Amino acid sequence: MEQFAPVKRSKDGQPVRYLIVDDSVFARKNLARMIETFGGQVAAEAGDGLTAISEFDRTHPDIVLMDITMPQMEGIEAAERIVQQHPEARIVMVSSVGYQENIVAALQRGARHFVQKPVKPEVLYEVIKYVMGEDGAVAQSAGAGA
Amino acid sequence: MNHSSDERGAELRELFFETSQELLQALNDEALKLEKKPGDEEIVRSIRRTAHTLKGDSAACGLREISELAHQFEDALSVEGATANAAVAEIAFQVTDVFGEMISAYRKGSKLPSTTSLSKKIKALTSAPAVRKSRGKKAKSIAKPSEWTEYEKLSMTQAQASGMAVYHVVAKIDPHCAMPIAGRQLIQNGAAAAGRVLAIRPDPKSPAAVKQVELVVATSGAPEQIEARCKIPTIAEEVSVELMLAAVEIIDPAVNAAAQTIPDPAQPLPSKSESGAAENSAVQSTTENILRVEAGRIDNVLNLVGELIIGKSMLQQALSEFSKRYPRELLRSTFADAMAFQARVLNDLQRSVMKIRMVPVDQLFRRFPRIVRDVARQCSREVELVVSGQDTDLDKGILDAIAEPLTHMVRNAVSHGIESPEDRRKAGKAAQGTVRLNAYHQGNQVIVEVSDDGRGLDAQRIRAKAIELGFVSPDESSRLSDSEVTDFIFRPGFSTAEQVTEVSGRGVGMDVVQSVLHRLKATITVETRPGQGTTFRLKLPLTLAIIKALLFWVEQRLYAIPLNAVVEIARTTEAEVHQVDNYEVLQLRNQVLPVLRLGRPQLVGEEGKTHKLFVLVITVGERKYGLIVDALEGEEELVIKALDDQTFSTDLVSGASILGDGRVVLILNLPAVVEHFAHSRPQESGRVHSGLLLTATDRMRFAMTQAGGRA
Repeated sequence: MEQFAPVKRSKDGQPVRYLIVDDSVFARKNLARMIETFGGQVAAEAGDGLTAISEFDRTHPDIVLMDITMPQMEGIEAAERIVQQHPEARIVMVSSVGYQENIVAALQRGARHFVQKPVKPEVLYEVIKYVMGEDGAVAQSAGAGA
Repeated sequence: MNHSSDERGAELRELFFETSQELLQALNDEALKLEKKPGDEEIVRSIRRTAHTLKGDSAACGLREISELAHQFEDALSVEGATANAAVAEIAFQVTDVFGEMISAYRKGSKLPSTTSLSKKIKALTSAPAVRKSRGKKAKSIAKPSEWTEYEKLSMTQAQASGMAVYHVVAKIDPHCAMPIAGRQLIQNGAAAAGRVLAIRPDPKSPAAVKQVELVVATSGAPEQIEARCKIPTIAEEVSVELMLAAVEIIDPAVNAAAQTIPDPAQPLPSKSESGAAENSAVQSTTENILRVEAGRIDNVLNLVGELIIGKSMLQQALSEFSKRYPRELLRSTFADAMAFQARVLNDLQRSVMKIRMVPVDQLFRRFPRIVRDVARQCSREVELVVSGQDTDLDKGILDAIAEPLTHMVRNAVSHGIESPEDRRKAGKAAQGTVRLNAYHQGNQVIVEVSDDGRGLDAQRIRAKAIELGFVSPDESSRLSDSEVTDFIFRPGFSTAEQVTEVSGRGVGMDVVQSVLHRLKATITVETRPGQGTTFRLKLPLTLAIIKALLFWVEQRLYAIPLNAVVEIARTTEAEVHQVDNYEVLQLRNQVLPVLRLGRPQLVGEEGKTHKLFVLVITVGERKYGLIVDALEGEEELVIKALDDQTFSTDLVSGASILGDGRVVLILNLPAVVEHFAHSRPQESGRVHSGLLLTATDRMRFAMTQAGGRA
């Protein structure tokens, strides 16, 4: 797998912490591996929307990667509820092309960005950098060393 | 967008909802006029002005759909030759209806009604190239400033006037982006983070939407920020930001003045300066001296006045107690003077507050010309509506409550009262019938009359129907006078309309009217002459909150009835109460009154004959009754406390009030009491049974039982 220059939190130089929400274990592991190549850290995982909300409250991650179709509570609703409670939450919707309308809905309800499944690491990397904005910093030297 | 501007926006909307009702009414009135004088240019101009005002007002508070429709309508009327089109009036009616629906949808936050068919009809008004079509084509190419809608332009100038600069942003969507519409939303979000998005093109459903998105963004920040926000990796790499309107240094509240600075070569704002100026001055002169206050706030004040009145009677009681105890104390007269002064001021205060709640009945009456027109058309009648007494004032709450019953009555008058033109001619009457609406004061009441010069009520048919429905036996019915018979139409479930039409007689009839009136402590009477017409007369109280009442005792319980209803108080003995059929009646001087008893006769047998009784002669509707009570308490102003339905299982009580000494008094609902009597009359012949017995298990919880008789 290719390696990216790690994105760190600009305030303390610590790894960016992620909450990965997807009902498929495979998808979660896949995303977790990608995140590690970005120098990030998985704070928590959730298999449904309700768990996602409680995990968000527990871990306060920097970024949430949120699937759309899930049991218990769909990703859009979970995203909306999280943003209502935590307007600063950065939620990236992860979904297949067929769900474009749902993504539009999620974006209208406060999601920050989206990536399309199957997720391409280079696209997700760009999205992460964009979503982190000034709160994220690309550590040039560390990336070269790793 | 900060919080306070949101609040102001909500207030502005509320104001628009209020004022728009007047505008719609004006539009309706103008359409009615135009229908009478087709092609009158003056009227068409006035319709256009109203549409113009609606457009501007709705745009100012962000109601785009209304604003655009009004704009279309205004445009269509500006085209040469539109005036001559006979369809203008019809469309104006529809515009009124659709706007009304849209506004109530906005108000409730529900889904807006579809406007496509109306918008098509508006377009059909003009032979000029349809405005919309050309717009649709242009949207595919690159947008020009002239293409923004009226609403959008207005919001741009408003943003400019509030010190923001307005930028035109074009973002090209990356052709590799698999979800361009989601991408577009992301760009919009980005722009919204940098400023206020005033317009966005093209429509997300148009095929052009996948290629690029155009936005108009207002911001007080730097344009670079918009660019940074909209430039999104993998979605939009190419973003251009151009200045459209530079920020104005001074905040200029006169948006109209700013509106003329908008770069708009294609379409100058039509006749803004001439008609706009006239409207503005008219609007200003009415708004300056008028305060719009939420009804709830006035009710609050009225409630407090009510509490004060209770306080006054508490003081009065204390004073009389004091006087008894210290008859020689000189301070008494000082107290009495102070009390009298306070009472006078309180009286004035109450009257002023009540005046605030008063509105002319015209607010309700003016919607009837349209209703009469529509109903007359549906049932092919020729009807003229004559309205008088529009200036009569009535409590707003009462006016709102009678709106529906009155509408029902007017519809009935047109559809059932007035005959078809042929029938009228045969009967030797003019083909055009007349429906009259009238309102006037009578004592402490307001009378509203609906009359028609139609065929009148058919007493024979009502009699037959009443027998069929089991309201009376054939035997009894033959003894009833025609006017007693016509009162049956107010009974639940009564309708003589032979078929259920769309217009009236929707299975419900006058009994619905009646039930609303019961609630208002109002009464209705009907007067009819065969072949000459029918008059319905509503007697309404001036206000709902405070009544003058007569207090009396029945079986150690205190009750009150509105003083309005009392004609006379008399003393009599049981011996004067006679038995006629199943009625108890009382002969008082030369009139015979049906007797209402709330309790059992006090004494039985011979000694009962000489027992003295108090009789309150009351009127309900047109008829008089003798209400037998044990003792009188006095006259008092009562502040009615509404009772919820859970507390009371009976409609015989319309409210309760608290007296100065803390006692609770129940206010009887006389029409219901009378009705109950009519129903509960024992069917078997023989000695009449005792009347109604009201028992209270506790002060507020009430149950109604009827004494089973003494046999």
